[in-house]
Amino acid sequence: MNGARIMVIDDEKIVGKMIKSTFEQDGYTVETFVDPQPALARLEEEKFAVVITDLKMKNIDGMQVLETIKAGSPETKVIMITAFASMDAAIEALRKKVDDFFPKPIKIKDLKACVKNLLNE
Amino acid sequence: MKIVHKVMLGNIINIIFIALIYIVAFQFLEFMLAKLQFVEIADDLNASFLGMRLSEKNYFLYGDPSFLKEIEVELDDSIASISSVQENIIRAVGESKYEELRQSVEEYKEAIQKAEESNASDVNMQKTVRESGRQLREFSAKIVSLERKKVNDILSHSKKVLFYFFCVIILVAMAATYLFFSKFLSSLKSIERTATCISQGDFCKVEGDNTGDELGSVMAAINSMSEELDSRYEQIVQSRKLASLGILTAGVAHELGNPLNNIALVAQSYIELADHLSKEETVGYMKTIEEETERIEKIVQDLLDFSKPKKANVKEMEINRVVEKSLKLVRNMLHVSGIEVRSDLQEKLPLVYIDENRIQEVLINLVINAIQVLSPGGLVTIRTYLEEKGDYVVIEVRDTGPGILPEHLPHIFVPFFSTKGVRGTGLGLSVSYGIIKNHNGRMRVESKVNVGTTFFIELPVYR
Repeated sequence: MNGARIMVIDDEKIVGKMIKSTFEQDGYTVETFVDPQPALARLEEEKFAVVITDLKMKNIDGMQVLETIKAGSPETKVIMITAFASMDAAIEALRKKVDDFFPKPIKIKDLKACVKNLLNE
Repeated sequence: MKIVHKVMLGNIINIIFIALIYIVAFQFLEFMLAKLQFVEIADDLNASFLGMRLSEKNYFLYGDPSFLKEIEVELDDSIASISSVQENIIRAVGESKYEELRQSVEEYKEAIQKAEESNASDVNMQKTVRESGRQLREFSAKIVSLERKKVNDILSHSKKVLFYFFCVIILVAMAATYLFFSKFLSSLKSIERTATCISQGDFCKVEGDNTGDELGSVMAAINSMSEELDSRYEQIVQSRKLASLGILTAGVAHELGNPLNNIALVAQSYIELADHLSKEETVGYMKTIEEETERIEKIVQDLLDFSKPKKANVKEMEINRVVEKSLKLVRNMLHVSGIEVRSDLQEKLPLVYIDENRIQEVLINLVINAIQVLSPGGLVTIRTYLEEKGDYVVIEVRDTGPGILPEHLPHIFVPFFSTKGVRGTGLGLSVSYGIIKNHNGRMRVESKVNVGTTFFIELPVYR
């Protein structure tokens, strides 16, 4: 088991909870946040291998989170999930160097495969 | 009677009047002509009578009978001319005067014939001749002057008659116009009032009886149009609601996406972790699924509430609760469109007596309108407060959009008026206006181009 650090940011609490339970089963270390603000602060303190973030959130937009992470530590992989998957949003995320894009509802198996792939395991 | 018939009748009456004037004038001229002809003839006769009297004097002076012959010739001429123009004379002065004239001439002739037989110096004869000569001359002079006077009188009298005739015609024309067209004009007024009513969304009918003319059919047509509009109004309101529903759907899709995703995640996690989960954890998972299902149900219910045709359900309500509920319904739409909404709701407002669903419909409609005109980053502000006098609770919906052109402002509550082109039915605001009016409330708008638009809804305080 690898033990890579994964961060989940989604204002829907259950999303973080379920990703945490299933990913920890595979040996990952998962931290979850419902508010992007403290999540970004936590990223300053410690490096995460993968950040999974929602696109539409109350205070800070997922797009902004992506930009901040890619500006601070480009090697951190970012996966964006959204319930409102518009083509425009996907294109904008790709331009901002998102590593993958998942429309809701998410398939945990696909998400796991994606993370594994991004971490070259 | 139809208008075309009235106009025709009016024309016929005019023509009859003109013909009447023509006939009267013609008769009058004929009459005057006869009089003048007579005066001319009488003048001639007068002159020849004068000549005869001169010859008569000469005969008595010189005793030459050739003078008597001259008189006789002239007398025959006169008699001939009198009988040749007999008709003219009778027409001018009447039969009796004509006879009198003829008789005087005959008498004179007789006297002259007698004079031929007797001596020129016979005093009796002289007297008879002189007397009848004088009578003839006097009589003819008298009727000439009489006729002259008559002609003058008639001419000066005809001036007055002309004036009276003119007055009568004017009065008759005015009376006829009033009789024919007063009903016509009042019907037109009535139609105008109805058109104004309909343009303000009140589907009233043209008052007054059907006049049976062309205007009557116009009135009937307007009435049936008004009825038709009234009956279709509800259908239109329904279709407009469906249109708003379409706009809402984008927001709803997002709203439903989250709980669906949550359920899917819980189910997938359970499948993966089933062997390692405690009973408590399993129950927790199921509770989550139940909660998320309830969340979906709530959204669906809200949608149904909005789209269903509703029976009036009026009760005393806190307006702030209604505003909050409405905002909840459009929250996602605002979010997706990148529009910020701020609410500034005054605490402890008096209650209002309203149909919650209808007022919610108005508020959602106003917010959707704002969203349509705002670009991302725009701001919608909703305020509630008590009006100064304390009779009305005011809801203010303000946007920072492009504003409404001053020339459009007076029409925005008019049905079918839209600046959105094919995107709008032009009914949203008129329906909203109708709803607020049904609550005995008031709705108005203030707008400045490039600054924004504010709608004010004022609802009476419940007492």
